[in-house]
Amino acid sequence: MHPLHLDGTYKVVAAGLLGVAFGFLIVKSKIAWRKTLVDQLFLKNTHFMKTFLASVALGAILFHFARQWGLVSYHARPLFPWGAITGGLLVAAGLALCGQVPSSAIAAVGAGRLHALLVLVGMLLAMPVANAFSRWFADTVARWPDPVNLDPTLDAMFSNATPFWIAGLALAACLFLEFTTSDSDDS
Amino acid sequence: MTGFFTGKWSSYLAGGVVAFLFLLSLYVLDDSIGFSDPYLMISSYCERSIESGRLANPPPIDWQTVFLGGILIGALGAALVGGEWRFRMISDSEGKGFFPSIGATIATGIAGGFLVMLGLQLAGDSFLGQWSSAIQLSTSAWVFFASLLVWGIVITTIASAIRRRNAAAAPSESEKKK
Repeated sequence: MHPLHLDGTYKVVAAGLLGVAFGFLIVKSKIAWRKTLVDQLFLKNTHFMKTFLASVALGAILFHFARQWGLVSYHARPLFPWGAITGGLLVAAGLALCGQVPSSAIAAVGAGRLHALLVLVGMLLAMPVANAFSRWFADTVARWPDPVNLDPTLDAMFSNATPFWIAGLALAACLFLEFTTSDSDDS
Repeated sequence: MTGFFTGKWSSYLAGGVVAFLFLLSLYVLDDSIGFSDPYLMISSYCERSIESGRLANPPPIDWQTVFLGGILIGALGAALVGGEWRFRMISDSEGKGFFPSIGATIATGIAGGFLVMLGLQLAGDSFLGQWSSAIQLSTSAWVFFASLLVWGIVITTIASAIRRRNAAAAPSESEKKK
Protein backbone atom coordinates (compact mmCIF):
# COMPACT_ATOMS: atom_id res chain seq x y z
CA MET A 1 0.00 0.00 0.00
CA HIS A 2 1.12 3.57 -0.61
CA PRO A 3 -0.25 7.14 -0.34
CA LEU A 4 -2.58 8.26 -3.16
CA HIS A 5 -0.18 11.09 -4.05
CA LEU A 6 -2.66 12.96 -6.28
CA ASP A 7 -1.23 15.37 -8.80
CA GLY A 8 -2.38 18.20 -11.11
CA THR A 9 -6.10 19.01 -11.18
CA TYR A 10 -6.99 16.07 -8.91
CA LYS A 11 -4.70 17.46 -6.22
CA VAL A 12 -6.23 20.93 -6.56
CA VAL A 13 -9.79 19.54 -6.27
CA ALA A 14 -8.84 17.30 -3.31
CA ALA A 15 -7.14 20.24 -1.59
CA GLY A 16 -10.29 22.35 -2.10
CA LEU A 17 -12.49 19.66 -0.54
CA LEU A 18 -10.07 19.17 2.35
CA GLY A 19 -10.03 22.95 2.81
CA VAL A 20 -13.85 22.95 3.06
CA ALA A 21 -13.66 20.17 5.68
CA PHE A 22 -10.99 22.05 7.65
CA GLY A 23 -12.98 25.31 7.45
CA PHE A 24 -16.04 23.49 8.81
CA LEU A 25 -13.92 21.95 11.56
CA ILE A 26 -12.28 25.25 12.56
CA VAL A 27 -15.69 26.85 13.15
CA LYS A 28 -17.13 23.79 14.90
CA SER A 29 -14.10 23.44 17.16
CA LYS A 30 -14.39 27.17 18.05
CA ILE A 31 -10.79 27.87 16.94
CA ALA A 32 -12.20 30.47 14.54
CA TRP A 33 -13.27 32.65 17.46
CA ARG A 34 -10.69 35.07 18.80
CA LYS A 35 -11.80 34.37 22.37
CA THR A 36 -10.93 30.65 22.25
CA LEU A 37 -7.18 31.09 21.75
CA VAL A 38 -6.89 34.23 23.92
CA ASP A 39 -8.74 32.53 26.80
CA GLN A 40 -6.53 29.47 26.32
CA LEU A 41 -3.40 31.59 26.78
CA PHE A 42 -4.91 33.23 29.87
CA LEU A 43 -5.84 29.69 31.06
CA LYS A 44 -9.48 30.76 31.42
CA ASN A 45 -10.78 28.17 28.97
CA THR A 46 -9.04 24.93 28.00
CA HIS A 47 -11.20 23.97 25.01
CA PHE A 48 -8.36 24.42 22.51
CA MET A 49 -5.85 22.52 24.65
CA LYS A 50 -8.27 19.59 25.04
CA THR A 51 -8.94 19.55 21.28
CA PHE A 52 -5.18 19.55 20.63
CA LEU A 53 -4.50 16.78 23.15
CA ALA A 54 -7.40 14.65 21.91
CA SER A 55 -6.14 14.99 18.33
CA VAL A 56 -2.64 13.95 19.42
CA ALA A 57 -3.96 11.00 21.46
CA LEU A 58 -5.81 9.58 18.46
CA GLY A 59 -3.62 10.93 15.67
CA ALA A 60 -0.27 9.65 16.99
CA ILE A 61 -1.56 6.06 17.09
CA LEU A 62 -3.40 6.30 13.75
CA PHE A 63 -0.30 7.79 12.12
CA HIS A 64 1.90 5.05 13.61
CA PHE A 65 -0.21 2.25 12.08
CA ALA A 66 -0.93 4.09 8.81
CA ARG A 67 2.82 4.59 8.36
CA GLN A 68 3.53 0.93 9.15
CA TRP A 69 0.99 -0.09 6.49
CA GLY A 70 2.55 2.33 4.01
CA LEU A 71 -0.58 4.50 3.71
CA VAL A 72 1.20 7.70 4.73
CA SER A 73 4.76 8.93 4.86
CA TYR A 74 6.42 11.39 7.20
CA HIS A 75 6.02 15.04 6.14
CA ALA A 76 7.36 17.61 8.58
CA ARG A 77 9.89 20.41 8.41
CA PRO A 78 13.48 19.69 9.52
CA LEU A 79 14.38 20.25 13.13
CA PHE A 80 15.56 23.78 14.00
CA PRO A 81 15.20 24.30 17.78
CA TRP A 82 16.08 28.03 17.89
CA GLY A 83 13.59 28.81 15.12
CA ALA A 84 10.88 26.85 16.95
CA ILE A 85 11.66 28.56 20.29
CA THR A 86 11.76 32.14 18.93
CA GLY A 87 8.82 31.39 16.62
CA GLY A 88 6.83 30.17 19.63
CA LEU A 89 7.63 33.41 21.49
CA LEU A 90 6.44 35.63 18.62
CA VAL A 91 3.33 33.54 17.95
CA ALA A 92 2.42 33.65 21.67
CA ALA A 93 2.79 37.45 21.69
CA GLY A 94 0.71 37.74 18.51
CA LEU A 95 -1.97 35.36 19.79
CA ALA A 96 -2.29 37.32 23.03
CA LEU A 97 -3.10 40.37 20.88
CA CYS A 98 -5.27 39.02 18.08
CA GLY A 99 -6.22 35.44 19.09
CA GLN A 100 -5.97 34.21 15.49
CA VAL A 101 -3.68 31.99 13.43
CA PRO A 102 -3.75 32.16 9.58
CA SER A 103 -6.34 29.39 9.12
CA SER A 104 -8.63 30.62 11.91
CA ALA A 105 -8.48 34.21 10.59
CA ILE A 106 -9.70 33.04 7.18
CA ALA A 107 -12.43 30.92 8.82
CA ALA A 108 -13.48 33.89 10.98
CA VAL A 109 -13.88 36.04 7.85
CA GLY A 110 -16.02 33.27 6.32
CA ALA A 111 -18.16 33.29 9.48
CA GLY A 112 -18.79 37.04 9.08
CA ARG A 113 -16.20 38.40 11.54
CA LEU A 114 -14.75 40.92 9.12
CA HIS A 115 -12.41 42.34 11.78
CA ALA A 116 -10.28 39.23 11.13
CA LEU A 117 -9.40 40.83 7.76
CA LEU A 118 -7.12 43.16 9.76
CA VAL A 119 -5.30 40.12 11.11
CA LEU A 120 -4.84 38.88 7.54
CA VAL A 121 -3.48 42.32 6.56
CA GLY A 122 -0.98 42.09 9.43
CA MET A 123 0.02 38.61 8.25
CA LEU A 124 0.52 39.76 4.66
CA LEU A 125 2.63 42.70 5.90
CA ALA A 126 4.78 40.24 7.85
CA MET A 127 5.77 38.18 4.79
CA PRO A 128 8.39 40.57 3.28
CA VAL A 129 9.69 41.35 6.77
CA ALA A 130 9.90 37.62 7.54
CA ASN A 131 11.92 37.11 4.35
CA ALA A 132 14.42 39.82 5.28
CA PHE A 133 14.46 38.68 8.89
CA SER A 134 15.00 35.02 7.98
CA ARG A 135 18.14 35.96 5.99
CA TRP A 136 19.52 37.77 9.05
CA PHE A 137 18.36 34.85 11.20
CA ALA A 138 20.16 32.33 8.96
CA ASP A 139 23.41 34.28 9.34
CA THR A 140 23.19 34.65 13.11
CA VAL A 141 20.82 32.61 15.31
CA ALA A 142 20.73 29.62 12.96
CA ARG A 143 24.48 29.22 13.46
CA TRP A 144 24.19 28.91 17.22
CA PRO A 145 24.67 25.35 18.44
CA ASP A 146 21.47 23.48 19.34
CA PRO A 147 20.59 23.83 23.06
CA VAL A 148 20.50 20.02 23.38
CA ASN A 149 21.05 17.14 20.96
CA LEU A 150 17.68 16.25 19.47
CA ASP A 151 16.56 13.74 16.85
CA PRO A 152 14.07 14.94 14.21
CA THR A 153 11.24 12.79 15.60
CA LEU A 154 10.28 11.75 19.11
CA ASP A 155 10.10 8.03 18.23
CA ALA A 156 13.67 8.20 16.82
CA MET A 157 14.76 9.89 20.05
CA PHE A 158 13.10 7.40 22.40
CA SER A 159 11.58 4.12 21.14
CA ASN A 160 8.99 2.65 18.80
CA ALA A 161 6.53 2.66 21.69
CA THR A 162 6.65 6.48 21.82
CA PRO A 163 3.34 7.03 19.94
CA PHE A 164 1.56 4.92 22.56
CA TRP A 165 2.92 6.66 25.63
CA ILE A 166 2.50 10.08 23.97
CA ALA A 167 -1.13 9.16 23.27
CA GLY A 168 -1.54 7.93 26.88
CA LEU A 169 -0.04 11.11 28.32
CA ALA A 170 -2.15 13.31 26.01
CA LEU A 171 -5.32 11.45 27.04
CA ALA A 172 -4.41 11.68 30.74
CA ALA A 173 -3.73 15.43 30.39
CA CYS A 174 -7.02 15.84 28.52
CA LEU A 175 -8.97 14.07 31.29
CA PHE A 176 -7.12 16.10 33.94
CA LEU A 177 -8.21 19.33 32.22
CA GLU A 178 -11.74 17.97 31.80
CA PHE A 179 -12.17 17.47 35.54
CA THR A 180 -10.23 20.46 36.82
CA THR A 181 -11.24 23.29 34.48
CA SER A 182 -14.43 24.57 32.89
CA ASP A 183 -15.29 25.62 29.36
CA SER A 184 -17.58 28.44 28.40
CA ASP A 185 -19.58 28.36 25.17
CA ASP A 186 -19.03 32.00 24.27
CA SER A 187 -18.10 32.83 20.71
CA MET B 1 -26.76 12.88 12.04
CA THR B 2 -28.08 16.41 11.47
CA GLY B 3 -26.80 17.33 14.93
CA PHE B 4 -23.27 16.57 13.78
CA PHE B 5 -23.48 19.45 11.29
CA THR B 6 -25.67 21.88 13.22
CA GLY B 7 -24.80 21.29 16.90
CA LYS B 8 -21.78 22.30 18.98
CA TRP B 9 -18.80 19.93 19.00
CA SER B 10 -17.05 18.76 22.15
CA SER B 11 -13.27 19.05 22.25
CA TYR B 12 -13.01 15.25 21.95
CA LEU B 13 -15.10 15.12 18.79
CA ALA B 14 -13.19 18.09 17.33
CA GLY B 15 -9.86 16.47 18.24
CA GLY B 16 -10.89 13.17 16.62
CA VAL B 17 -11.96 14.93 13.42
CA VAL B 18 -8.70 16.95 13.37
CA ALA B 19 -6.65 13.74 13.64
CA PHE B 20 -8.70 12.03 10.91
CA LEU B 21 -8.43 15.03 8.53
CA PHE B 22 -4.65 15.33 9.01
CA LEU B 23 -4.24 11.62 8.26
CA LEU B 24 -6.56 11.89 5.24
CA SER B 25 -4.55 14.87 3.92
CA LEU B 26 -1.30 12.95 4.28
CA TYR B 27 -2.83 9.95 2.47
CA VAL B 28 -4.52 11.88 -0.35
CA LEU B 29 -2.02 14.69 -0.98
CA ASP B 30 1.15 12.96 0.29
CA ASP B 31 2.20 16.45 1.30
CA SER B 32 2.29 18.61 4.40
CA ILE B 33 -0.62 21.02 4.84
CA GLY B 34 0.57 24.57 4.98
CA PHE B 35 0.00 27.84 3.27
CA SER B 36 3.08 29.98 3.61
CA ASP B 37 3.51 29.84 -0.17
CA PRO B 38 0.09 31.32 -1.07
CA TYR B 39 0.55 34.03 1.58
CA LEU B 40 3.94 34.84 0.09
CA MET B 41 2.41 34.91 -3.42
CA ILE B 42 -0.48 37.17 -2.34
CA SER B 43 1.91 39.42 -0.42
CA SER B 44 4.27 39.83 -3.40
CA TYR B 45 1.23 40.33 -5.70
CA CYS B 46 0.05 43.23 -3.47
CA GLU B 47 3.60 44.62 -3.40
CA ARG B 48 3.86 44.50 -7.23
CA SER B 49 0.41 46.10 -7.62
CA ILE B 50 1.27 48.93 -5.21
CA GLU B 51 4.66 49.54 -6.87
CA SER B 52 3.21 49.66 -10.41
CA GLY B 53 0.09 51.58 -9.36
CA ARG B 54 -2.23 49.10 -11.13
CA LEU B 55 -3.34 45.52 -10.66
CA ALA B 56 -0.49 43.14 -11.48
CA ASN B 57 -0.99 39.74 -13.12
CA PRO B 58 -2.72 37.54 -10.53
CA PRO B 59 -0.62 34.73 -9.01
CA PRO B 60 -1.18 31.19 -10.35
CA ILE B 61 -3.76 29.05 -8.55
CA ASP B 62 -2.13 26.05 -6.90
CA TRP B 63 -3.46 23.45 -4.46
CA GLN B 64 -2.47 25.47 -1.38
CA THR B 65 -4.34 28.57 -2.59
CA VAL B 66 -7.42 26.44 -3.31
CA PHE B 67 -7.08 24.93 0.18
CA LEU B 68 -7.27 28.48 1.61
CA GLY B 69 -10.40 29.19 -0.45
CA GLY B 70 -11.88 25.90 0.78
CA ILE B 71 -11.38 26.96 4.41
CA LEU B 72 -13.34 30.16 3.73
CA ILE B 73 -16.23 28.25 2.11
CA GLY B 74 -16.25 25.52 4.78
CA ALA B 75 -16.30 28.10 7.58
CA LEU B 76 -19.13 29.97 5.87
CA GLY B 77 -21.11 26.72 5.58
CA ALA B 78 -20.47 25.72 9.21
CA ALA B 79 -21.43 29.16 10.51
CA LEU B 80 -24.63 29.22 8.43
CA VAL B 81 -25.87 25.72 9.31
CA GLY B 82 -24.90 26.16 12.96
CA GLY B 83 -26.58 29.58 13.20
CA GLU B 84 -23.25 31.19 14.15
CA TRP B 85 -22.86 33.55 11.19
CA ARG B 86 -22.63 37.12 12.52
CA PHE B 87 -21.60 40.22 10.62
CA ARG B 88 -19.02 41.91 12.86
CA MET B 89 -16.72 44.78 11.95
CA ILE B 90 -15.43 45.15 15.52
CA SER B 91 -14.30 42.33 17.76
CA ASP B 92 -16.75 41.67 20.64
CA SER B 93 -13.99 41.32 23.19
CA GLU B 94 -12.34 44.72 22.66
CA GLY B 95 -12.65 47.77 24.94
CA LYS B 96 -15.96 49.46 25.61
CA GLY B 97 -17.14 52.45 23.56
CA PHE B 98 -17.18 52.90 19.80
CA PHE B 99 -13.80 54.57 19.15
CA PRO B 100 -11.75 52.62 21.69
CA SER B 101 -13.19 49.45 20.14
CA ILE B 102 -12.25 50.48 16.61
CA GLY B 103 -8.76 51.55 17.67
CA ALA B 104 -8.16 48.40 19.66
CA THR B 105 -9.52 46.13 16.91
CA ILE B 106 -7.26 47.72 14.27
CA ALA B 107 -4.14 47.87 16.46
CA THR B 108 -4.42 44.39 17.98
CA GLY B 109 -5.52 42.83 14.67
CA ILE B 110 -2.67 44.15 12.54
CA ALA B 111 0.06 43.89 15.20
CA GLY B 112 -1.09 40.44 16.33
CA GLY B 113 -1.35 39.09 12.77
CA PHE B 114 2.10 40.48 11.98
CA LEU B 115 3.70 38.79 15.01
CA VAL B 116 1.90 35.48 14.47
CA MET B 117 2.99 35.23 10.82
CA LEU B 118 6.57 36.34 11.62
CA GLY B 119 6.75 33.68 14.34
CA LEU B 120 5.32 30.96 12.11
CA GLN B 121 7.81 31.81 9.36
CA LEU B 122 10.70 31.56 11.83
CA ALA B 123 9.35 28.27 13.17
CA GLY B 124 9.22 27.07 9.56
CA ASP B 125 5.59 26.03 9.11
CA SER B 126 1.98 27.22 9.32
CA PHE B 127 -0.04 26.57 12.48
CA LEU B 128 -1.95 23.67 10.90
CA GLY B 129 1.37 22.37 9.53
CA GLN B 130 2.87 22.43 13.04
CA TRP B 131 -0.21 20.67 14.40
CA SER B 132 0.02 17.98 11.72
CA SER B 133 3.75 17.61 12.47
CA ALA B 134 3.01 17.21 16.19
CA ILE B 135 0.76 14.25 15.35
CA GLN B 136 3.65 12.82 13.33
CA LEU B 137 5.77 13.28 16.50
CA SER B 138 8.10 15.81 14.89
CA THR B 139 10.46 17.11 17.61
CA SER B 140 10.47 20.57 16.00
CA ALA B 141 6.66 20.86 16.29
CA TRP B 142 6.73 19.76 19.94
CA VAL B 143 9.48 22.29 20.74
CA PHE B 144 7.34 24.95 18.99
CA PHE B 145 4.17 24.10 20.95
CA ALA B 146 6.09 23.87 24.25
CA SER B 147 7.64 27.28 23.53
CA LEU B 148 4.23 28.70 22.57
CA LEU B 149 2.67 27.45 25.81
CA VAL B 150 5.50 28.66 28.08
CA TRP B 151 5.83 32.08 26.42
CA GLY B 152 2.04 32.37 26.24
CA ILE B 153 1.76 31.89 30.00
CA VAL B 154 4.65 34.33 30.66
CA ILE B 155 3.16 37.02 28.38
CA THR B 156 -0.40 36.67 29.69
CA THR B 157 0.84 36.71 33.31
CA ILE B 158 2.70 39.97 32.64
CA ALA B 159 -0.34 41.39 30.78
CA SER B 160 -2.66 40.45 33.67
CA ALA B 161 -0.31 42.04 36.21
CA ILE B 162 -0.16 45.29 34.19
CA ARG B 163 -3.95 45.29 33.82
CA ARG B 164 -4.41 44.79 37.58
CA ARG B 165 -1.92 47.57 38.39
CA ASN B 166 -3.66 49.97 35.99
CA ALA B 167 -7.04 49.09 37.45
CA ALA B 168 -5.74 49.73 40.97
CA ALA B 169 -4.15 53.03 39.93
CA ALA B 170 -7.26 54.34 38.14
CA PRO B 171 -9.73 56.19 40.43
CA SER B 172 -12.91 54.23 41.10
CA GLU B 173 -16.33 55.50 39.92
CA SER B 174 -17.34 56.49 43.47
CA GLU B 175 -14.12 58.51 43.91
CA LYS B 176 -14.77 60.29 40.60
CA LYS B 177 -18.27 61.30 41.76
CA LYS B 178 -16.80 62.85 44.89
